[in-house]
Amino acid sequence: MSNRTESNVYTIIFAIAMVIVVGGLLAFTASALRPMIDNNERLEKQQNILYAMGVNDNDESSAVFVSTKEAPQLFEKYISKQLVIQGDNVSEDENAYLIDVKKEQASAKEGNERRLPLFVGEKDGKTFYIAPIRGKGLWDAIWAYIAMDKDMVVQGAYFDHKGETAGLGANIKQRFFMDDFIGENLMNNGEFKGITVAKGNNDPKNENKNDNKVDAIAGATITGDGVSAMLKSELKQYVPYFETLKNE
Amino acid sequence: MEHIELFFKSIFIDNMVFATFLGMCSYLAVSKKVSTAVGLGAAVIFVLAITVPLNWLLDQYLLQPGALTWLGPEYADYNLSFLSFIMFIATIATMVQLVEIVVEKFSPSLYNSLGIFLPLIAVNCAILGGSLFMQSREIPTIGLATTYGIGSGIGWFLAILAIAAIREKIRYSNVPPALRGLGITFIITGLMAIGFMSFGGMLTGGDDEGAKKEETVQVEGTNTDSEEEVIANNIKGNE
Amino acid sequence: MGLLSKKDAALIKDPLADNNPITIQVLGICSALAITAELEAAIVMSVSVLFVLGIGNVVISLMRNIIPSKIRIIVQLIVVAALVIIVDQVLKAFAYELSKTLSVFVGLIITNCIIMGRFEAFALGNGPWRSFLDGIGNSLGYGVILIIVAFFRELLGAGTLLGIKVLGDPIEKTGVYAFGYENNGFMLLAPMALIVVGIIIWIQRTRNTSLVEDH
Repeated sequence: MSNRTESNVYTIIFAIAMVIVVGGLLAFTASALRPMIDNNERLEKQQNILYAMGVNDNDESSAVFVSTKEAPQLFEKYISKQLVIQGDNVSEDENAYLIDVKKEQASAKEGNERRLPLFVGEKDGKTFYIAPIRGKGLWDAIWAYIAMDKDMVVQGAYFDHKGETAGLGANIKQRFFMDDFIGENLMNNGEFKGITVAKGNNDPKNENKNDNKVDAIAGATITGDGVSAMLKSELKQYVPYFETLKNE
Repeated sequence: MEHIELFFKSIFIDNMVFATFLGMCSYLAVSKKVSTAVGLGAAVIFVLAITVPLNWLLDQYLLQPGALTWLGPEYADYNLSFLSFIMFIATIATMVQLVEIVVEKFSPSLYNSLGIFLPLIAVNCAILGGSLFMQSREIPTIGLATTYGIGSGIGWFLAILAIAAIREKIRYSNVPPALRGLGITFIITGLMAIGFMSFGGMLTGGDDEGAKKEETVQVEGTNTDSEEEVIANNIKGNE
Repeated sequence: MGLLSKKDAALIKDPLADNNPITIQVLGICSALAITAELEAAIVMSVSVLFVLGIGNVVISLMRNIIPSKIRIIVQLIVVAALVIIVDQVLKAFAYELSKTLSVFVGLIITNCIIMGRFEAFALGNGPWRSFLDGIGNSLGYGVILIIVAFFRELLGAGTLLGIKVLGDPIEKTGVYAFGYENNGFMLLAPMALIVVGIIIWIQRTRNTSLVEDH
């Protein structure tokens, strides 16, 4: 290496040039691709919501979404109402599915009333209420779309994660875990109990649907605890709305 | 209280090496002698204690969606979170380079023995991991972020000190030739990690009867469930 | 290997065994522990590292004469981070499905010390073509170990390979489970990855005694 590259002036000029080049490159790609990425994320949300209410292309063992091409039409067809619940105030908003749950959680922490999105879907004469929820796993965020009937019995669930351990916590998005939730009751004797991801509950085939428990994934304790905590704290906030449904 | 809990949690329960397996490369390669291990461990504590709060500030006022509101309400919609990785890494690399210059100046012998691994602190995943955990666990204040940084650093320091001490002693043991050095270190680390899993049960469980029942089962060891579940019980709190 | 001279061929071959990045150079251990519970993840990670290390080595090698040594670490990290982030963003825009599989690994790739380690040890001092070969060789050596470890962890831990139940169904008690076999859930935990790598080192050094360390 020559002496030229050792001088302080050169080092500083190099650093500045690099920041400009790299920063410009990143900003350019990010802003040029932003609309496409946003569109992909929007389609994914629609796919997730449809998946939870059972509109999917599942084969025997793996979870398959409806194609991105069909998603907007199917979303239009099956989702009849999109609600935003804010305290006692329930309003309709056709873009409720774009509400960022993470932002809402943050603003609720600062004392604001949280906006809770809820999607109402109709399929084969049945009504589904689908709630988007978000929590923390071992490494990073986990989130889910839970489809319920009006008595808060789970009809379908879609889980996803940002960076759980492959083969362990990452398995929350596998069929064998998600399908366990179908038919599980979130209520117990009229009280909200949530669903606990439990180890060794002697029910590996998950035949008991009223025990508020599903079987955990071996070796993924913290992710499982995160799922339990997320279901409990997030879905609890929807209970008042489901109470009003009963009285109708 | 919050600080003390987070401090001990980050040292023992979320130990960087034994619970999340971060920073393994330098941990394995620079643990031949206690003296070098102490040097590197101290460097890691120092770098973590500085970079975690620095990155906390970056995250709060620059990177989070809506973080730019302090510039004015019209900036509320900006989301620079795609820059997190590169900003965190730039901060860390700058700090590491500073540490490298300082160590080279004041302790050339330490500098020589650390060799290639001082620059590698920059990619020591424990350091970046510290900042990313700080971000994903949404640590609320800068004070807690500092505590978290120091705690994680001490956890890493303890881990490398322990393995270095074991490696100095194991020289006098009759290890199969092919396992000497790296091989046995891997296996010892694995066993130590299994030991550290017992900390996992602290500060976490105890919120419902289900969890308590499992604890007793674990102590008595009479669980007739499948082996998998017994193990899952025993290492409660780990993954 | 008619295309390559003997010296160049060694750049590819050495890291596969006698100078393996994981078992000899001790690089890239964290990721070897984090993603070897499942064979598929190990393969995806190996391929990603192959791309990043191959291209990154060439870029750093081309820049080697203009990088000021005082800030070389920052430069190296920023080059690799920018590379990975741009690829991630492009995939998110044009191949969203693929990006969902890969995005989990973005952080692991940037902090993978095998990448920095090879930049420092090789690309800073050698030409682009040799650096490219070095990158390919080392990521192949890394991938081989990853795949071996993941094979055993997934097979013994979950009874599956690439998600396919090769040993029968543990709940329905078919296949080997009918004879009372149980999955060893312990294999799925990270400490067992350490021990499996330890055993690989043991076997490797028993076969090639010149690699044995003094103590």
